[in-house]
Amino acid sequence: MGSFRRDKDDDDEGSTSLYQNLEKTSVLQETRTFNETPVNARKCIQILTKILYLINQGEQLVSREATECFFAMTKLFQSKDIVLRRMVYLGIKELSSIAEDVIIVTSSLTKDMTGKEDLYRAAAIRALCSITDNTMLQAVERYMKQCIVDKNGAVSCAALVSSYKLAGQAGDVVKRWANEAQEALNNDNVMVQYHALGLLYYIRKNDRLAVSKLVNKLSRNSLKSPYALCMLIRISCKLIEEENLSGEELSDFPMFQFVESCLRHKSEMVIYEAAHAIVNFKNTPSRVLSPAFSILQLFCSSPKATLRFAAVRTLNKVAMTHPAAVTTCNLDLEGLITDSNRSVATLAITTLLKTGAESSVERLMKQISSFVAEISDEFKVVVVQAICSLCTKYPRKHTVLMSFLSGMLREEGGLEYKTSIVDTIITIIEENTESKESGLSHLCEFIEDCEHTSLAVRILHLLGKEGPYSNNPSKYIRFIYNRVILENPIVRSAAVSALGQFGASCPTLLGNILVLLNRCQMDPDDEVRDRATYYLHILQTNKMELYKRYIIDRNTSSLILLEKALSDYLNGNFNDKFDLAIVPKAAVVKVETKDEAMIVSNNAVRPTKITREEVSAAKVMQIPGIKELGPLHKTCPTTQLTESETEYTVQCVKHIFESHVVFQFDCLNTLPDVILENVRVEITPPEEFEIKGIIPCQKLPYNELGSCFVILKFPEDVLHSAATFGATLRFTVIDCDPTTGEPDSDVGYSDEYMLEDFEISVADLILKTKKSNFNAIFDEANTEEWVEAEDTFALSTVSTIQEAVNSILKFLGLGPSQNTETVAEGTHTHTLLCSGTFKNGADILLKAKLALADGVTMHLTVKTTEPDVADLVISAIG
Amino acid sequence: MLALINRILDWFKSLFWKEEMELTLVGLQFSGKTTFVNVIASGNFTEDMIPTVGFNMRRITKGNVTIKVWDIGGQPRFRSMWERYCRGVNAIVYMVDAADTDKMEASRNELHSLLDKPQLAGIPVLVLGNKRDIPGALDETGLIDRMNLSSIQDREICCYSISCKEKDNIDITLQWLINHSKSSH
Repeated sequence: MGSFRRDKDDDDEGSTSLYQNLEKTSVLQETRTFNETPVNARKCIQILTKILYLINQGEQLVSREATECFFAMTKLFQSKDIVLRRMVYLGIKELSSIAEDVIIVTSSLTKDMTGKEDLYRAAAIRALCSITDNTMLQAVERYMKQCIVDKNGAVSCAALVSSYKLAGQAGDVVKRWANEAQEALNNDNVMVQYHALGLLYYIRKNDRLAVSKLVNKLSRNSLKSPYALCMLIRISCKLIEEENLSGEELSDFPMFQFVESCLRHKSEMVIYEAAHAIVNFKNTPSRVLSPAFSILQLFCSSPKATLRFAAVRTLNKVAMTHPAAVTTCNLDLEGLITDSNRSVATLAITTLLKTGAESSVERLMKQISSFVAEISDEFKVVVVQAICSLCTKYPRKHTVLMSFLSGMLREEGGLEYKTSIVDTIITIIEENTESKESGLSHLCEFIEDCEHTSLAVRILHLLGKEGPYSNNPSKYIRFIYNRVILENPIVRSAAVSALGQFGASCPTLLGNILVLLNRCQMDPDDEVRDRATYYLHILQTNKMELYKRYIIDRNTSSLILLEKALSDYLNGNFNDKFDLAIVPKAAVVKVETKDEAMIVSNNAVRPTKITREEVSAAKVMQIPGIKELGPLHKTCPTTQLTESETEYTVQCVKHIFESHVVFQFDCLNTLPDVILENVRVEITPPEEFEIKGIIPCQKLPYNELGSCFVILKFPEDVLHSAATFGATLRFTVIDCDPTTGEPDSDVGYSDEYMLEDFEISVADLILKTKKSNFNAIFDEANTEEWVEAEDTFALSTVSTIQEAVNSILKFLGLGPSQNTETVAEGTHTHTLLCSGTFKNGADILLKAKLALADGVTMHLTVKTTEPDVADLVISAIG
Repeated sequence: MLALINRILDWFKSLFWKEEMELTLVGLQFSGKTTFVNVIASGNFTEDMIPTVGFNMRRITKGNVTIKVWDIGGQPRFRSMWERYCRGVNAIVYMVDAADTDKMEASRNELHSLLDKPQLAGIPVLVLGNKRDIPGALDETGLIDRMNLSSIQDREICCYSISCKEKDNIDITLQWLINHSKSSH
């Protein structure tokens, strides 16, 4: 769609454009002109423009080309032409990341940035910071400091923004510029104030106290710049969120009062920002909420499209958290349905969908389908999200919504949009068993013509998991086998896996599946053939336990650690066979989405895929002798054993093995004038536990994280596995010179430091699992090896079912299935389904029936393969 | 009156016979390259300079000759880039710290490896031994010997001993440079 539109625009321009049909090689040839003397400024500007155009069109230069071009460009510094010089700066910025030896222009740029020509200075600063690496930063530091406090607004802004960018890679150096940034904050220029605040905040971001000081000071002497004020509101919000105050405390909190006072500011931008902040707080008291909503309501009828958009977008976001308050704006929202701006209209309709009554759903859906084709993908996603929340709210409407979704699925759209539709359909299927069949068939239809490999793979996986348990499993086989014939290798292998699932779960279809898998063995792709052979061989054995272990319930190892273990193995000698069991299993990790973007929109920072637990698990595997303990079962989240601002901070990570536990103590020495040696943690375990070994940390210099370990054997009796431990940190202190870190003397004295007690809870012993067909598995678990335990509890400490569900999951460490962890509002009964694996490998299935009546009563049914484990689980609740 | 006419005449002359030359100034760090440019441009000598990071481009007008000087930093990380700036210039000026005998060998090696580059064949070279005011500094013959300049046969090469501090021999250096501007070829 996008490319189509661009083609059209180009046609309109006609073929007169100088920049059409440019070729990289010929343009690079032209850069030879740069070496001519005297410099022909006009011609050079044109060539530079062409280069910039090419780069911005996505043309890739290789390092050699870029370097040639860059050095030719440096010759242009001899020209005094202002426009040319500024083009050179742009060129330097674009090429700085590709070309080599770009620091060659440092001296020339520092001259320009401190020179008399104001037109050069700001641009020179930006170019300089793009070529500067950490080693060169010291050399330009003095100039940067001067420029930050320059009286020329543009120069100061450029210096501040560049510092902000540099702070990402050289935080320590930029920290030293805080005083200059503080001074720039008093500049009268609105943008300078804004950027200065941004930089100051970035520098102090990790120091809570300093940030709140900054906010308190600035909120009193009212900043002139509305941009800076908006920023300040956002920073305040972040601080307030972290305080986690109740409604009453909140209204007395000075920062909140500041945000509230901003509702009466004269700039619309600031008013909006404050209103947006207030409605987004968790515990805003209603006294403050209503003026904020009236402001949003007022903006809804503003003649400015931006304000209408901002207001309706905010209302849309908070429609689920403050439905009553948003409903008061319904009349204004109705007015916006026909807004000429499609984005505003979409948001208005979706907001109404979220808050409106069940009866109005059909009318609104009709309205929106009239123009859904005209809106951009981004807003289609908003529509889909609204439908998703509607489904949760009105399960009975699922047929209308499902057919609307499938209609949308058939239309053109990008990956993100399609993903959100598929997500929504999957959520509906999971929440509402009635819609399963129709949902699955819509998805089947979708993969018949799906250009997105990732989506097709996901749907095939879902079909493999859900399809065998539907009323008529055979009808999915055709859709799946079609993929094997028509698609690329990745989809084909996913389809083969799905076929395998059907074969394992539907004995009636097994014959046919075997025939199909047999054909897949002729596939041209290795992976597809391998999978087909794998499934075929297992299915031909006709043994249910093999099916279960290798097809239906495959435990997946943590891929990152598997990769590491394999590469370690390849570097070692091949005397032993590779043991897959030493690789920890992947835990079901729920991805938390953080709304960091509110304050700093930093796209570059992507969350790393490897979890912190996996990092320490890899660390613990390097302890000598650890392999004898067998495979690692689980690594628990970190617990703090000290206050955060003490001389030494210690965190404990528990690694659970089948019959052992390894405590990893991460110690940090925060005293610059001492070195700690022979650091170890002495623990006092209950007598059933046996200490197997203590591995001290030899040396702990200032500000370095060191780890020491304690290995314990679990008691034979499973019921005693959960226990509390006392701990003391013992070490030898050696005084040292705080600046060099050289020890003053060789001998030290021993000292100790009391740590807080910590415990191994039942949840620590259990690894979460997620079963997609919980009920089927639960019902099948009635063979001899399973034991069942039941009990009924009255939970007095919780007042809602949701709280009860949360605390069960927390105490038992089980993973919920089929979205039963969320309790629909207003219901009085609920069934929670969850499952996990105990440290000795025993499966745990738990069904909790909850009912609300003067407190929550709960009936627990636990099925597991070990009697003691069942008792332990029951006792953990009691 | 005559003086005025003479000046106008000079001005006209300079319009038509204005000459331009381009030269590149290289050499190890701390040998006085940037100082030398400052001295020939404005006559000012400053003792403490900060090291050049990259290059400085300066235009200097002497009489009717405009000299463009590429003054390149001498730190090891920039030496590989000297060649790029030496291509196609009218002359290469190579600065040596005549008082620092320890670095003489490194300086000689850098000069010879630079001049071995085929791209720079035939470009005249002026080797300047700076800091002759310091006792113990080498003179011209000493430099020619230590820098092994006699082995360079394929181009015009000249060596002066100068002092930027005392402004010694700056005039003959300038004269040499002006003689090598475009028109004299």
